[in-house]
Amino acid sequence: MQAQSAELGRREISVLLRGEPETINAWIEHWTARRLLWCVSVIFAGAGLYGAAMGWWRAPVQALFVAIKFPLIILLTTLGNALLNAMLAPLLGLNISFRQSFLAILMSFTMAAAILGSFSPLAAFVVWNAPPMSPDVRLSGGTYSFIQLMHVGVIAFAGVVANVRLVQLLRRLSGSASVARRVLLAWLAGNLFLGSQLSWILRPFIGSPALPVEFLRPTAFQGNFYETVFRSVLRLFTVE
Amino acid sequence: MNNMHTTPSPAPPQIQSAVPSAATGPRPLGDEPAEREPIPGFVTAIESILRQPRRVMFQLRQPGGGKLIAAMLLVAVVCSLIYGVVVGSFSGGTQWWAAPVKVSAGLLISALICLPSLYIFACLSGSQARLAEIFGLVTGLLMLMTILLIGFAPVAWLFSQSTGSVAWMGALHLLFWFVSTAFGLRFLEQGFCHTNARSVAGLRTWVIIFVLVVLQMTTALRPLVGTADTFLPKVKIFFVNHWVKCLR
Repeated sequence: MQAQSAELGRREISVLLRGEPETINAWIEHWTARRLLWCVSVIFAGAGLYGAAMGWWRAPVQALFVAIKFPLIILLTTLGNALLNAMLAPLLGLNISFRQSFLAILMSFTMAAAILGSFSPLAAFVVWNAPPMSPDVRLSGGTYSFIQLMHVGVIAFAGVVANVRLVQLLRRLSGSASVARRVLLAWLAGNLFLGSQLSWILRPFIGSPALPVEFLRPTAFQGNFYETVFRSVLRLFTVE
Repeated sequence: MNNMHTTPSPAPPQIQSAVPSAATGPRPLGDEPAEREPIPGFVTAIESILRQPRRVMFQLRQPGGGKLIAAMLLVAVVCSLIYGVVVGSFSGGTQWWAAPVKVSAGLLISALICLPSLYIFACLSGSQARLAEIFGLVTGLLMLMTILLIGFAPVAWLFSQSTGSVAWMGALHLLFWFVSTAFGLRFLEQGFCHTNARSVAGLRTWVIIFVLVVLQMTTALRPLVGTADTFLPKVKIFFVNHWVKCLR
């Protein structure tokens, strides 16, 4: 029974990744609690495994923390923007219900999580081969940058693929490429805006050797991502 | 005198197009009777992958595919252990057992690390293959790679006994490994094309990842050629940096 269930789950992942429009459209039209649970499970498993690989370089405990935080960012972003995304879609020409917009975004995140999960052994292998994190920048600065860029690259790849499939779905739902593009860009802007702040609050992910291993930094709710970027830009142009 | 009852003129001859009309794609697997014959044992599996790779690809999709996968995996493990002994013969001592263990384990772990991403790339390319079939193609790659390494083993052994240069032996083993892997990857690509994949771009990306992982694994499990005080290295290093150090 469990083997059958696992096989069914794998087939659903492959359908999502292939972007089979009729099947995915049918899923959105006739949703079940089982499929909703399956999406959330894939997000927790895939993003969790990748998060563990991210945090492992700092410490095993950090791996556990990031395994919890990474899926949380995805789910909180989906839930936090659910109402906004559902309202933007019809305003921009895509007449779908709240449930349809929520499920479309959830499925694209499920796809991204599945891709991240598949790359988690590779990320873990790179971390295993890296020298231990060191407070001395001379020793681990280059490796830190490499690992950071690797994570950025993998997450970007997963995100791009998921959004390509999402825009294909939106094109099918709307019948118009320009409507699909407008809705995708609007959703992306909102999700990126909320997601980046959630990432700021839930930091650290890779971690720092100079700071203790913590689930959240003490300053998690002080300041925000954009404020920090703005201050950094100001510092660049301030000559003392 | 003209014949009043004219016979209809024959249809004009068809002019062959210089450009082939739509790509017909590969011949479907199993369209020849020989491909449909089951592969009962190890020897048949080895012969088939060398002479009838399509038979292996077809049988991987059949209900008994699991047994074929197990047989190919066992052949890959045994062949990699044997080649590992040849690698270890250069230094002797603990390398007689350490090198085979590392070669075999390194190959298997590298394949396992890269397998999930291959499945993802396959799905993204439109492939209809199940995870079991993708796993079967990867074991086919490993089996073909390792049996070719066995073919290179006598040459590798001869050089191992007649040179003292670690760098030279390392380079030679890498060369043999590259050639064997190229044939193994050709089998994988041919099998991939039969899974209804629309593009091989994902597979080619995966090939680069797989090669990099195996190369890094050789450094992570060093030494394979040469000796050291510990079974595994204490210092982590990128494989290119390691090669440069060995060449100096």
